Amino acid sequence: MGRFFCVLRRDLHLALRQGMDSFMVVMFFVIAVVLFPFGVGPEPNTLARIAAGVIWVAALLSSMLSLERLFLGDYEDGSLELLVLSPATLETLVLAKIAAHWLTTGLPLIVAAPFLAILLNMDGEGFVTLVAALALGTPTLSLLGAVGAALVLGSRRGGVLLSLLILPLFIPILIFGVSAVDAAVGGYPVKPQFMILGGFLALALPLCPWAAAAGLRQSLE
Amino acid sequence: MKRKHKRLTFVVIAGLFIALAVGLMLSAFEENIVFFRTPGDVASGSIEEDRRIRLGGLVEEGSVVPGADGLVNFSITDTVDTVQVTYVGILPDLFREGQGVITEGKLMNGVFVADEVLAKHDENYMPPEVSDAIKEAGQWYEDGEHGSGDQ
Amino acid sequence: MAMIEKYANPTVFLGITRPLVPWLGGATVATLSAGLYLALFASPADYQQGESVRIMYVHVPAAWMAMMCYTSMAIASGVGLIWKHPLAHTAARATAPVGAAFTLLALVTGSLWGKPMWGTWWVWDARLTSVLILFFLYIGYMALNNAFDNAQRGANAAAVLALVGFVNVPIIKFSVEWWNTLHQPASVMRMDGPTIHASMLWPLGLMALGYTLFYFWVLIIRIDADVTAGKIRALRQRRAHS
Repeated sequence: MGRFFCVLRRDLHLALRQGMDSFMVVMFFVIAVVLFPFGVGPEPNTLARIAAGVIWVAALLSSMLSLERLFLGDYEDGSLELLVLSPATLETLVLAKIAAHWLTTGLPLIVAAPFLAILLNMDGEGFVTLVAALALGTPTLSLLGAVGAALVLGSRRGGVLLSLLILPLFIPILIFGVSAVDAAVGGYPVKPQFMILGGFLALALPLCPWAAAAGLRQSLE
Repeated sequence: MKRKHKRLTFVVIAGLFIALAVGLMLSAFEENIVFFRTPGDVASGSIEEDRRIRLGGLVEEGSVVPGADGLVNFSITDTVDTVQVTYVGILPDLFREGQGVITEGKLMNGVFVADEVLAKHDENYMPPEVSDAIKEAGQWYEDGEHGSGDQ
Repeated sequence: MAMIEKYANPTVFLGITRPLVPWLGGATVATLSAGLYLALFASPADYQQGESVRIMYVHVPAAWMAMMCYTSMAIASGVGLIWKHPLAHTAARATAPVGAAFTLLALVTGSLWGKPMWGTWWVWDARLTSVLILFFLYIGYMALNNAFDNAQRGANAAAVLALVGFVNVPIIKFSVEWWNTLHQPASVMRMDGPTIHASMLWPLGLMALGYTLFYFWVLIIRIDADVTAGKIRALRQRRAHS
């Protein structure tokens, strides 16, 4: 457990020192969402109807941005080999790195989301659901993304490849995340959507670190 | 030994999480996440007017009234409640009375104004002679009911 | 295990399977022509769908094969990762484009069938969406496999992806039961027996058999080609070093 927090603290320190990474991800998120009123026209009703989907899609894309760097820095400077050789289980250390990724990208996105929802004229009833759904969905995005990031280590064109691998796997989370917000706005119960998002998270929490660790091990063979 | 112990703990924790995931998903499916709403939802007043929804059910027998310029009026029923639907456009081949359909549009003044009508077909395939023979033998379920009723 | 080891040797494997290629090819052509004749001409029209039901004979087996190929690809990937058999990776790699082609065929024929029957080319219901994801997974698998300078690394990374993506297969299978989809439920592979009349089940079965034979035929040819390409690469390297 101590090693888990050690890696977590190290990654958070690195992210905060550089600082810019988190900020750029949030800025990308904001700008991507702001593009939509120009793209589809500023009509409030239209924007309100697509608000949940736009915010979710932008959140998916922004969390993709920083994923490529998740293991790449460690891979290039050799610290990944130290992590693999450390007495702690690699899965735990991978989970720590994923947690750090979520804290530095997922969390800022959740904080920014309500403001974007205002810009897109989303119905007031959807706000709480949007934040809650993002809180439940974005950790799964980081977990799934870690598997992709581990697999593309050392490949040509890693970044593009990563999106090709990971975006299809993000689709179920997008579907239920958006449908939760739509249900809340329409006055329907949101419990089933949240149960499914929670189910995805519970499934990804043990399986993704395991798959990502397998990917990391074979990248060092 | 210690390493083996650790492995085991991990496997147990992972198993618990997976069991939790399966439990959550299965109970979520019982809550019925739907591709479409039913006339019952409309009757219970849980659907706002002017909001775009999908409405599904059976085309009520004897309710199809074709008008000019491709206009069609018909009713969709879930055998308890019925909603009047109006639609302008081309209907799919499978559209007929008693057939399961899904329409997309908005509810306006109690009438569902559809801009898309999709026909749902069931999982039964047979030549027409066979279906006639079954009907004659009196073993036929209500036409189309199988298509949307059992899901 | 010893037996598997023996046949996992590419030379032994190809020694046994290579003579099968012409036979498999002939059987594929014969079965598919008989199946297509039955499906397109000799079988009856449907009581509801009329002649359009004939698209089913191309569409349904393609969708089965799409899932079957992914399942074999995932199993081969697992075997390749655990026991490190190069032949398993080769088989998985050889399966991917065939599976992707079947998936595309299922999507396209489904779309052509959907327009007259449902009234739309495409809807975003659970069945159609999950099959589209399956297609993306195949594409991702192939891209990842080819993205490394070291072929072994590509094979390993893609194998992990194939295993992760396998979650999608049961979702495809059960999507029509779990959700209220526009797509109809299963007609053949269901607990209480097929709900499809025998006169239509036969051509469907024949088409499925033809597709399966085609898969094995192409699989052996592709494995053969892959092994040969590996040998050529090795020879070139040896010549470059000497």
